[in-house]
Amino acid sequence: MEAIANAGHPGAETHAGKRSWLFTRPTAKTGIVSWLTTVDHKRIGMLYGISALFFFLVGGFEALLIRIQLAVPNNTFISHQTYNEMFTMHATTMVFLAVMPLSAAFFNYIMPLQIGARDVAFPRLNGFAFWVFIVGAIVINIGWFVKSGSPDAGWFGYAPLTSKAYSDQFAGDMSTDLWVMGLQILGVSSVVGSLNFIVTIINLRAPGMTMMRLPVFTWMTLITAFLIILSFPAITIALVELMMDRSFNTNFFEAANGGLPILWSHLFWIFGHPEVYILILPAMGIISEILPTFSRKPLFGYPIIVFSGACIGFLGFGVWSHHMFTTGMGSVATAAFSLMTMAIAVPTGVKIFNWIGTLWGGQLRMSTPMMFALGFVWMFMFGGFSGIMHAAAPADSQQHNSYFVVAHFHYVLIGGSVFALLAGIHYWFPLIFGRKVSEFWGKLSFWLIFVGFNVTFFPMHFLGLNGMPRRTAVYDGNMGWSDANLVSTVGAFILGVGIAVYFTVMIRTYFKGEKVGRDPWDARTLEWSLPTPPPEHNYDVIPTIHARDAFWYEKTHKDEIAKETAEHAKSETAHGGIHMPSQSWFPLLAASGLLIGAILFVNHLFLWAIIGGGIMVLGIYFWASEGPGGYHVHLEKHDDHGDGRH
Amino acid sequence: MPLFFGGWLNWLTGPQSTIDVAGPVAESQRHVFYVTVWVTGIIFVLVASVLTYATLKYKARNDSDEQTPTPPQGHGNPFIELGLIAASVLALVFIAIPTLRAIWYAYDVPAAEKTNALEVNATGYQWWFKFEYPSEQIDGVGPLTTANELVIPVGRAIRINLRANDVMHSFWVPKLAGKVDMIPNRGNHLWLKADAPGYFWGQCAEYCGESHAVMRFRLIALAQKDYAEWIIAQKAPARALTPPSDGALAKTQPAGYAFKNPGRNAPGYSSAFDTDPLAAWLKQQKPAANENPVLIAQGHDLFTAKSCVTCHVVRGNNMGGAPFAPDLTHIGSRTTIAAGLLENNSVNLHRWITRPNEVKPGNKMYLGINGMPGYMMMQDDKLVPHIVVSDEEAPAIVAYLQSLK
Repeated sequence: MEAIANAGHPGAETHAGKRSWLFTRPTAKTGIVSWLTTVDHKRIGMLYGISALFFFLVGGFEALLIRIQLAVPNNTFISHQTYNEMFTMHATTMVFLAVMPLSAAFFNYIMPLQIGARDVAFPRLNGFAFWVFIVGAIVINIGWFVKSGSPDAGWFGYAPLTSKAYSDQFAGDMSTDLWVMGLQILGVSSVVGSLNFIVTIINLRAPGMTMMRLPVFTWMTLITAFLIILSFPAITIALVELMMDRSFNTNFFEAANGGLPILWSHLFWIFGHPEVYILILPAMGIISEILPTFSRKPLFGYPIIVFSGACIGFLGFGVWSHHMFTTGMGSVATAAFSLMTMAIAVPTGVKIFNWIGTLWGGQLRMSTPMMFALGFVWMFMFGGFSGIMHAAAPADSQQHNSYFVVAHFHYVLIGGSVFALLAGIHYWFPLIFGRKVSEFWGKLSFWLIFVGFNVTFFPMHFLGLNGMPRRTAVYDGNMGWSDANLVSTVGAFILGVGIAVYFTVMIRTYFKGEKVGRDPWDARTLEWSLPTPPPEHNYDVIPTIHARDAFWYEKTHKDEIAKETAEHAKSETAHGGIHMPSQSWFPLLAASGLLIGAILFVNHLFLWAIIGGGIMVLGIYFWASEGPGGYHVHLEKHDDHGDGRH
Repeated sequence: MPLFFGGWLNWLTGPQSTIDVAGPVAESQRHVFYVTVWVTGIIFVLVASVLTYATLKYKARNDSDEQTPTPPQGHGNPFIELGLIAASVLALVFIAIPTLRAIWYAYDVPAAEKTNALEVNATGYQWWFKFEYPSEQIDGVGPLTTANELVIPVGRAIRINLRANDVMHSFWVPKLAGKVDMIPNRGNHLWLKADAPGYFWGQCAEYCGESHAVMRFRLIALAQKDYAEWIIAQKAPARALTPPSDGALAKTQPAGYAFKNPGRNAPGYSSAFDTDPLAAWLKQQKPAANENPVLIAQGHDLFTAKSCVTCHVVRGNNMGGAPFAPDLTHIGSRTTIAAGLLENNSVNLHRWITRPNEVKPGNKMYLGINGMPGYMMMQDDKLVPHIVVSDEEAPAIVAYLQSLK
């Protein structure tokens, strides 16, 4: 790595001449500075992944506290207030700090590799998106360490419970302000990151990588990114209005002054339902990569899978009020949203049919990623069926806000999203770290997670049908809910053990796992053509794409590809060699301004908060002033290092 | 094993079951649910069989299997795809038709039943329910008002207007109808009908703050005659016993029960009550046999002295009250207190009025409301006690409240 780094960096080959110290680009390739200033999409992907997994464990811990409290009726393990903070933070953490960033980790690491690019379109912006995500995560979690406590108004924050009149009766409560501010900041991160992914996918595809040859995971990245930039404005509007209500006494949602709480519900769910697809589409993308690889045949009906993904994205904006069937919208509106919601089941079902079609006639290797992927198909199917039950508005009027809904969305979000993400970690682990997880321990963790998950959430269908509302800290023993709750808590601990085994095995594998070379799964997409782990510049020569499963084609047309690569290598050298982006401090500086500003703002020090804004503007100004930077890597000169990279 | 087979059926027959229903609205909703279960069940059996078959048939048996030449690299079949899409749409039509019918049916009272329907207003507060009967006006007072126990006649359509003044709540009696939300600055409604007399459990189904979990209520459906009697009794002012002589009032009276604090979240229900709740409710309408008039009179005075009267209406007995607190005129006739949380008996009442924050954390009687102090008040940015009901004083207030039949 050193060898390559020194090849063109810093001095001679940077684009600009001598710069002042302020604009001298950092060049560290190891150590803390290299991570703080990184613009490498693979490193940013790893940072996302590690942060997301940390918050995944935090959210899981919160879930276990919830399950302990509900294990027996009339329990006093935690107070009502603490319970309310737990379910608010569990959901907020899992949605915004665990599943979304874990998807972002894969977008960052895998997507540029799949399209044959050397980085994303805006490498510094990518770093900025990550640091802003960390800022948002910190702001949301400050509540655990301050007197006013953590946010407690639910992850959906229905007005007017979030207004000062109900969350701030006596003391300077800032938990809701933290939630409002944290979500806005996370929104910035998501939108910035998504724009970057869209530009990357549209502009940085390798020659021959037409849209209909994109790997499905990259397609789902693209669709998810569009969903994010189109849906986050809705919640941003709602959050800004709420912030104005709380800080400057406006009346958007203040019921006592004529504000309209129902307006919040609509704005929230116009964001909130596409958000559901933001969580599940990347998962569907991962599954659509794993099933063909381990069935050793192409994805069945690629165009229909892609089209149905896009179709889900479009329809996803027209079904938000199915979260509001009980708000008295009137018969026509209820009927319209009911039918739209049923319609969205069709493209979703189509995907399941196509995944089964992919297995059909294949040669299935039951490795751990495949186990998680098949687990996904089964569990997602269950979640889909209970989803159809909710789509029928009259049935939903009984199930809404009951444990039936809790069961449904955990089948979709754990059985769906999380299973797929865990599958993805297993699948791409050898590529990222050059080591492979042991099949025995991998499968053991799969079965613990699978069994624990079902024991936890299947009984919740019965709890919901038996009338147990969600978000309730206690229940009476005479309601017929005691048995199912106890079973569910036992399941939660099995699930917890499964997750613990999963991560212990991952950490052990990172240090001591079996080393593997290139393409250990006999895979089909381009990222597997790289050495494990991939070098910083990804591709020695930008590949040319001839077919949908690009790497599978390469493997079956070796001579042709070798000849073509040699020619392209020559022409790339003629153009100056491999061009890489320079590192920068300023994304981090700009994000830190956001953190300072946010903390001052939630303490209602509005004028001081401008300082934070100033730091952010300064960071962005320096970022613009330091210029694009960049340097070239020349591989030929260093072949004698014999590090096996090329 | 019984837990996993027979057990699951028992898991669906609780007091808030949406399956074991007792009225036409809940029945129509259950019907739609059953349709979805059947349709998705059939699809599940088909898809799961194919998935299982494919997994088992095409599974590589051993390592050498994995090395054999690759299988045919087929990309799919458009006719299979289109066929499956058409089949899915058809399956959804089976669900859509009953869905649309039930949406219109459940939305409002059917035209044929409108003239005979009874209109009731329900308002959600943090954390209790107020019920008003606009058709039962009391001279000089307004509509008959009660709290946390809604009494209705059987066989009549009940249209319930749903309102909220603070935050969102939701009105849900699972055995009679699906929930509809109570939203500030928005008028909602639902309708329901009980087929037979019964005692039903309900609960707030929209997260509404700290004590959301303990915001519950009851719905009692009575035969026409019982209902008419109840209305007459409720419209009457609070029951007043002959006041004893001043001499007797000074004497300490036995409480008639022993109180031991069971701690927070302790159960407030009993199997004795649950075996026949409707009978228990009917019994609750009549004064207890062992009433102590002296204790009750002391309680009446304490109710004013402790300024309970500032918020709570006891029509005829204590002057005062505010619209944002439960009307206690006939609290003795209700089977529950603290918004359906505790059975209405001496020990539970004692617990509630001496330790309200343990029973229902954050409640407005304890913390105060609309700038008025409750048991606590704000002083120099600190909460300090304002009203204290001691264990010695409580029995008199308990006796008084229980006498209010």
